Amino acid sequence: MVLGVTVLVFALNAAALGDPARAAMGQRADPETLERLRREYALDRPLPVQYATWLARLARADLGESFREQRPVREVIVERLPATARLALAATLVSVVFGVGIGAIAAVRARSTLDHVLMGLAVLGISTPVFWLGLMLALVFSVTLGWLPVSGYGDGALRNLVLPAVTLGALHTGTVARMTRSSLLEVVRQDFMATARAKGLSEWTVLGKHALRNALVPVVTVIGIGLADLLVGAPLTETVFAWPGVGRLLVAAVGQRDLPVVMGAVLVFALVYVLGNLLVDLAYLVIDPRMRDAVRA
Amino acid sequence: MTRAALVAALALGVIVAGLAGAADAAKPGGTLRMVFVSDPPTLDPAHASDLTSSAVIRQVFDALLELDDKLVPAPALAERWMVSADHRTYTFHLRRGAKFHNGREVRAADVKYSFERAARGKRPWVFEKLVGAPEFIKGAAAEISGVRVIDDATIELRLERPFAPFLHLVAYDAASIVPREEVDKRGAGFASHPVGTGAFRFVSWRRDDQVVLERFPEHFRGPAHLERVVFRVIPAEATRFNEYVTGQLDVTDIPTGRCRAVQADPKLKADVAIWPTLGTSALRFNVERAPFSDVRVRRAIAHAIDPTIIVDRLLEGCVTPAPGIVPPVLAGWTATARRVPLDRERARSLLAEAGFPSGRGLGPLAYHFNTSDANQRIAELIQAQLKEIGVTLELRRLDWAAHIKLVDDGSAGFFRQGWIADYPDPENFLTVLFHSRNVGAPGNTSRYRNPAVDRLLDEADTMPSGAPRMKRYQEAEQMILDDAVWISLYFYASRGLIKPHVKGLERSAQSTAPEFLAPLRKVWLER
Repeated sequence: MVLGVTVLVFALNAAALGDPARAAMGQRADPETLERLRREYALDRPLPVQYATWLARLARADLGESFREQRPVREVIVERLPATARLALAATLVSVVFGVGIGAIAAVRARSTLDHVLMGLAVLGISTPVFWLGLMLALVFSVTLGWLPVSGYGDGALRNLVLPAVTLGALHTGTVARMTRSSLLEVVRQDFMATARAKGLSEWTVLGKHALRNALVPVVTVIGIGLADLLVGAPLTETVFAWPGVGRLLVAAVGQRDLPVVMGAVLVFALVYVLGNLLVDLAYLVIDPRMRDAVRA
Repeated sequence: MTRAALVAALALGVIVAGLAGAADAAKPGGTLRMVFVSDPPTLDPAHASDLTSSAVIRQVFDALLELDDKLVPAPALAERWMVSADHRTYTFHLRRGAKFHNGREVRAADVKYSFERAARGKRPWVFEKLVGAPEFIKGAAAEISGVRVIDDATIELRLERPFAPFLHLVAYDAASIVPREEVDKRGAGFASHPVGTGAFRFVSWRRDDQVVLERFPEHFRGPAHLERVVFRVIPAEATRFNEYVTGQLDVTDIPTGRCRAVQADPKLKADVAIWPTLGTSALRFNVERAPFSDVRVRRAIAHAIDPTIIVDRLLEGCVTPAPGIVPPVLAGWTATARRVPLDRERARSLLAEAGFPSGRGLGPLAYHFNTSDANQRIAELIQAQLKEIGVTLELRRLDWAAHIKLVDDGSAGFFRQGWIADYPDPENFLTVLFHSRNVGAPGNTSRYRNPAVDRLLDEADTMPSGAPRMKRYQEAEQMILDDAVWISLYFYASRGLIKPHVKGLERSAQSTAPEFLAPLRKVWLER
């Protein structure tokens, strides 16, 4: 799959108009310098040769050199990766904590006004553009109230992370909340729930220990799929909050036709997606004992 | 004491008090917080080709000369220079005691090394006028023979032919002086950790986040007032504005479409700074592509476009309509040229003469522009204006990389393209943009070839500064406008918000945006 993504991105970049050498030259370009840069960037070779060269380098763990920054792509990505990882993890945390919480409350109060309000908010969260939400949150919590910084990584302080994480997390919180609610409602109709109640367990224990755990399997699936949302939302969130991550790097690299960086960043995103889903599969073993039994069998 | 003596004493007192006040005001210390829209790709003067990189480079490095607030070349690392009678040989005497940030004194050999290194970088055109430079740039010579070290403190530059704006090239940031040993030591890493002689030395650079500089106490002019300069990188316009409003930035740009709003805002109007800069926004034709190869079609379109509406309605009156190509803010330039006037009747008759009565037979014409809100709105307005003479425009919006490729290779027939001067001289507008030897990517994207214009430009380029030289440029400019290969829309203006406590920030016409203002060594904070 990852290889397929790289082929697709390479082909799309080739189809897009634009010359990386020219893009790197500013408003005035000397033809001989352009030719020299094209030779340096290996842009004078046929496309399949360019792709094969990239693959051969990749096999040696070499992602090539950025046209724009004239440094190894690995270096360019690695220095931005921690910021994106931090943001993605925090956003996932936001979406899980709030999504599961809201979903559980909505399920407990199913078909009540509270349920309708919470599910309405969930739909709003799914459909609100990241860019707009980010700006609105900054306007309220930074400009008006002055509680949090408008943007930037700062010195790595948590307060710089709050707004970007909430913005990016909101994108997925609604999906997690809706899935938690429907999954919980499905589970509470099962026979073992009646047994748990018959044993005299409190309602919260029944819900928290028995219902929620069983309901989490599809929720975890949604969280895994949600990684795609995070990856899509990261460039926008990072742009709004001037967060120095890989998403923003990717946006700039596409604009500059900095193909080695585009390929490298997409490769990282594709790997994160694949690894994320692998982790989700492994999480099933922890959450659902039936899965462990199936694996042992 | 006589009355005259009393007045003189009072006047002297006022002057002395003023000077003392100014000296008191320029207190050292503090951090100036500025902002960039994008991360600088490099901090190496040889490999930079963008304004963002240059903005940092100008603070970290010095060239032999610099431009003063009137954009006149003034001493920097060279304390004086002499020009030969034939205007082909320039001898520069270096300032004694000027040091790099690593403590070593600058020598003439550093100038030769820096020029030859940069000549094979991204802006070779800065050096191409020197004897032997074209061969060196192509790799056919081991050195630029026109750069000669006389002694440690003297360097001679020889030109192939006289070139009046040559001193502007010497003051350009591509011609910054770098220490060889640091380049050798750091290799490609020099671009991320620059070492120059500038008033500020490099401290740190977190990519896509911020560049931090601190004052260099041993700068040859003495230490700068500011302790530090922080350039933050914030791509979103609204975010930059919010950072400014919350006091986290000292200088920023005015968001698109909010020029009048900030001028009316009681909290911001005192911070608004708008000044004309050396740039012109225009529409261009590729004269090799039909139907734009017909001057009547080009003139018809020019007659139908009214830039005043673009300026008043879309750009909120914060720029000025451009009658010519060269902005009047250029020192020594008298704007005489007049664009093809708005006359839709004349436009219709020209179209009919060209065989396209009421636009029939012309078909939809593609208009290419690079993506931006302002460009989109301007394109729609032009589309509406041309509709009035029966010309239908198809709008083709592409990002910059794709747009410039189409424009350079001649695929676009009618397109948007502005120009921001590399240095303040009409040559940088007219010769670069319209001389037949610069067809394509070097600047003449109209692919315009007019021997009469070439002749005037060639003469002017090699003449000494003065009225006869300017007259030739003015004649050439009018001929180009009459041929309607370029339709001037408006002259650029730098539009910024500057906190009242920021003092000494020069509003140079060379600064195309507030963040590119230089030199920051003159800035201090009044707190």
